[in-house]
Amino acid sequence: MAALASADIVVIGAGIVGALVARRLAQQGASVLILEAGPRLDRGRIVAAFRHSPFKGNWMAPYPPSPWAPHPIYVPRDNGYLKQAGPYPYPAEYIRAVGGTTWHWAAQAWRLVPNDMRIKSLYGVGVDWPLSYEELDPWYQEAEEILGVAGADNTGSPRQKPFPMKPVAEPWAMHRVRERLAGVYPVVANTVARNSRGYDGRPACVGNNSCQPICPINAQYLGINAVEAAEAAGAKVIPNAVVYRIEHDVQGRIAAVHYYAPDKSEHRVTGKTFILAANGIESPKLLLLSASSKYPNGLANRSGAVGRHLMDHPSTSLTFYADEEIWLGRGPQSPSSINTLRDGAFRSQHAPYRLDFTNISQVLNVTNDLIKEGVYGAAFAKQLRWRAARQINVKNVLEVLPNPDNRITLSSEKDAMGIPKPEAHYAIDAYTRRGAEVSKADFARIAELMGGTGLRYSAEGSFANNQHITGTLSMGNDPATSVVDAFGRSHDHENLFVCGTGVMPTAATMNSTLTAVALALRTAEHILPAKQAVVANAAGDREAGLA
Amino acid sequence: MNAPLRYLVLLGLLVAVLAQAADNPDATLLRRGQYLATASDCVACHTSPGGKPYAGGLSIATPVGNIVSTNITPSKTAGIGHYTEAQFSDALRHGIRADGKHLYPAMPYTAYAQLTDADVQAMYAYFMHDVAPVDTAPAPTRLAFPFNVRLLMASWNWLFLDDQPFKPDPGKSAEWNRGAFLVRGPAHCSTCHTPRNLLMAEQSSRELAGGAVGTWFAPNITSDATSGIGNWGTQQLVDYLKSGHASGKGQAAGPMAEAVDNSLRHLTDADLQAIAAYLKTVPPRHDPADTRAVDRWGGPSAEPDVARTALPGDADTMSGAQVYDAYCASCHQARGEGSFDGGLPPLFHNTATGRTHTDNLVMVILDGIRWHTDDSGVHMPGFAHELSDRQIATLGNWLLQHYGNPAATVSVKQVRTLRTGGAAPHLVLLARLAMAAIVLLLIFAATWLMRRRKRHAAKTF
Amino acid sequence: MAIQEARTETALDDPADPSRRRLLAGLLTAYTASLIPWALAQPAPQADRGAFAALSAILVGRPSLDAAQATRTYDALVTDDAHFPTDVQALLTLINQRHIDPLQLQATLDSEHSPLASLPRRIMSAWVLGVVGSSEGARCVAYESALNAVIVADVLKPPTYAYGSYGSWTAKPV
Repeated sequence: MAALASADIVVIGAGIVGALVARRLAQQGASVLILEAGPRLDRGRIVAAFRHSPFKGNWMAPYPPSPWAPHPIYVPRDNGYLKQAGPYPYPAEYIRAVGGTTWHWAAQAWRLVPNDMRIKSLYGVGVDWPLSYEELDPWYQEAEEILGVAGADNTGSPRQKPFPMKPVAEPWAMHRVRERLAGVYPVVANTVARNSRGYDGRPACVGNNSCQPICPINAQYLGINAVEAAEAAGAKVIPNAVVYRIEHDVQGRIAAVHYYAPDKSEHRVTGKTFILAANGIESPKLLLLSASSKYPNGLANRSGAVGRHLMDHPSTSLTFYADEEIWLGRGPQSPSSINTLRDGAFRSQHAPYRLDFTNISQVLNVTNDLIKEGVYGAAFAKQLRWRAARQINVKNVLEVLPNPDNRITLSSEKDAMGIPKPEAHYAIDAYTRRGAEVSKADFARIAELMGGTGLRYSAEGSFANNQHITGTLSMGNDPATSVVDAFGRSHDHENLFVCGTGVMPTAATMNSTLTAVALALRTAEHILPAKQAVVANAAGDREAGLA
Repeated sequence: MNAPLRYLVLLGLLVAVLAQAADNPDATLLRRGQYLATASDCVACHTSPGGKPYAGGLSIATPVGNIVSTNITPSKTAGIGHYTEAQFSDALRHGIRADGKHLYPAMPYTAYAQLTDADVQAMYAYFMHDVAPVDTAPAPTRLAFPFNVRLLMASWNWLFLDDQPFKPDPGKSAEWNRGAFLVRGPAHCSTCHTPRNLLMAEQSSRELAGGAVGTWFAPNITSDATSGIGNWGTQQLVDYLKSGHASGKGQAAGPMAEAVDNSLRHLTDADLQAIAAYLKTVPPRHDPADTRAVDRWGGPSAEPDVARTALPGDADTMSGAQVYDAYCASCHQARGEGSFDGGLPPLFHNTATGRTHTDNLVMVILDGIRWHTDDSGVHMPGFAHELSDRQIATLGNWLLQHYGNPAATVSVKQVRTLRTGGAAPHLVLLARLAMAAIVLLLIFAATWLMRRRKRHAAKTF
Repeated sequence: MAIQEARTETALDDPADPSRRRLLAGLLTAYTASLIPWALAQPAPQADRGAFAALSAILVGRPSLDAAQATRTYDALVTDDAHFPTDVQALLTLINQRHIDPLQLQATLDSEHSPLASLPRRIMSAWVLGVVGSSEGARCVAYESALNAVIVADVLKPPTYAYGSYGSWTAKPV
């Protein structure tokens, strides 16, 4: 075994959540080590890799998996890393690299609404969270100030203090959608971790329209910014460190973690407190892998809930041509939504949803359509322009209820390092399907208001995955049914905490990252309370040379 | 109330009102003082990064060592709160502190000498009444011998300082005179843009022909059509001063971006027009190396896409086209043509790539362009963190070949030197050598004299 | 869903370069000549490349095709499939003989189970998407100069390229 490393706090996973927890703890004076399975990446190379890719619609193309830390790839073919046990596929995409999956997100940074956290009491479905929105509110605020969230106040989630930034300038296309839907559907600006002005040494958006897969200019907050902030605060990152086992002592306290370097040499890292932040699939995988004679079902798993209650935000959508030229593709990718269908008494009957308008350029989609349809000759250019100018897509973002049969387990197949691959068992139930059915009426109405023709609904029974991996490490007050408590501490191991979207016990309808970050900051405070008020230390980061 | 009492009360009120007026200078005077302070850009040097305005503490690297700016808030303990107006004027226009010591011309009193008495009165009122006092003193300036001898500045001033306030030229228009006053006085353009002699004084015969500012150089802004701004229209000059860029010309970066951000963009349009009008009359100085106007080089790239092959593992072996594609093209576009609205400028017909002197090109790639006083912040990111010296040299040469002056070059050594703060200043070394030489000479002379006396004494015995 | 459009006027209205016409005369009949806008950038040096240029022009329907891009695209397609030049000649001949309308071409080839059925899509994909090959063999030969970007270049920049200074996208596209 190679040389020991040790720190007060050992964080597994250098994504946005792991890095922000590390930053906060390092700022409080703790020594912090972050172990990341994947490599460091370079933004310029990612941009070039996207432009080189023959599959421009595949946002994972610029992020090839490392042989020692594979992540799921589906184009041009499934690399077979995330096994699918069915009955319904769960084709999650995530990035195992320093900075994590938020290298390629659309930066939607939403809060929940208070009722999202009490759907059992209110609507008789799902579970209640072990904390209230009011308790999470100040952490949402801190998260928004660190990330630099731009938002408008009319989006449905209550708040005590203003957003750090005004909403991002509205693209013409969304302006027209908002005007034409006015009085029937209020279209609001998305709250996003995207700069509407210079913020924290990063520039304002200049409309590269490639938020996914990469913001070329760092106008949107990425996990890599969190990592740099953590390092500036004193945390150390070890990349290419594939943790394969969490080691406990006879009392059940976590003593160390073991990782492989790419050459398969083994390394052991000790610490006082351990934070697992490797995403909602890799974290449960690691806990299950760490089974021992004392914990035959894996660590932190006396409840049997590790890996269970797998959720996401499935989507169905409608594509159509508006009756005017609006030209999607000018400005950022995800500017606007309809938020008024997220909550209500109907939640006892069917899933709520958000309606999301895309501003992704339609040129690629239209080109593929035209080639497929065999449109050649002078008509090609004419049709490309006509369609690209008018094509709109609206999708729903549906809630999925926690179901213990939807779960991540260990596959019998192993990856190149000899580590069992994760396996997804997943189904979309009637509650969600009823929500999708109801939303069709909204799709149709929206198309009508936009003078829509050429309506194309997504295939019946087919749902797109949105990479919001939730539920697999659910928090709760009852150790018999949950993995961690309201502060993310494992019920079974006093010095093991879990952070990430996986701890969310219900999914609601909003992109999960901001909630995960807010919960993680609350966890960090719980581990090591701040001596004075620690708010997003933007000035501190600037002085530390990040600006 | 009886009549005498009423009279006394009214008198009392009158006195009170007058006293108030004396204590509170009128708003017009304060506004004028603030405007002049903005035009003079006092805040740029007298504020440290993240510090309170005018509280000093900025360490300015000069060829004679680091000079730390002072606190000029009206703090009585740490600032200039105890200065009379006469002392304020002496510091501002003659480079003499209240305690009688001389200031170094890092404080451009040589330019501020042009300010009139009325200007000084307004600025004094502004600094005493409208600036928040800050009671923390910055670190004092400590220079190496002999430059710590401030008295030497007296001789320097005697040689080089023209300490007369601005006198309008009756043969020129009011606009020209206003421009001349602003350029020579508060805006102190020549402090950066005029070359200096060995003793660091401006060479007035080469007004605005270009000068060094740390690792940047302030280019030739005389009326020469090739090397200067002679082929700029007045509106383009005004645009540049107001927004930091002019289409088809260039962008303000480094210290000039700071000057635009803090000072120039706050001037009135009339004042900017006046500055432009004056600049167009500054005698042209042509650099023979410039065979074409510095903003007329290059054109959109005629080449097809960079070959879509994988990047090499060793970043230092990336070609210029590859570096450009990965790091620059996202804003400046695949053919260097810039964004639709020109806000992200083209790289051809751009002084950034058209000059034979390429330090500024390297510096803007390293540092980017950043504004502090408005919402936009980062106008261009810096790439010091992402790109190695070799990558920047490769990129620089590629840009010059494709979009700029192909005779200009960038070397790896140049990038390395600029990245680490510039070439070591010679002045301190020269001064020490000169002193060592003088001391040696004195020792030699003394020794020779003593020997002569001994021989003479020996002879007399 | 294809929008039915009347065929636009051909480029016979444009002045034709006699040298180009002579070069390609051997490859074309009056019919295919009527489909090709004549402003090809440069005459192709070889019959194979000439046939490719002609077929590309028919399929893509653009008034001019950049010669350097045509060379790169052709080379990539040949590398991907050694039969490519033969197939191109065959398809051009077929179009000539039967006067097939470009909009009907794919349906015709499909319904006849022609061995050339995949060819138009491969050529289109190379020009308008900048992609040659498929699945693991796919590679990108052009992005910014792929024709789908060029066709909308007055309104949009291709993704990853900035539209303009902050807020410039709020205005109505001209």
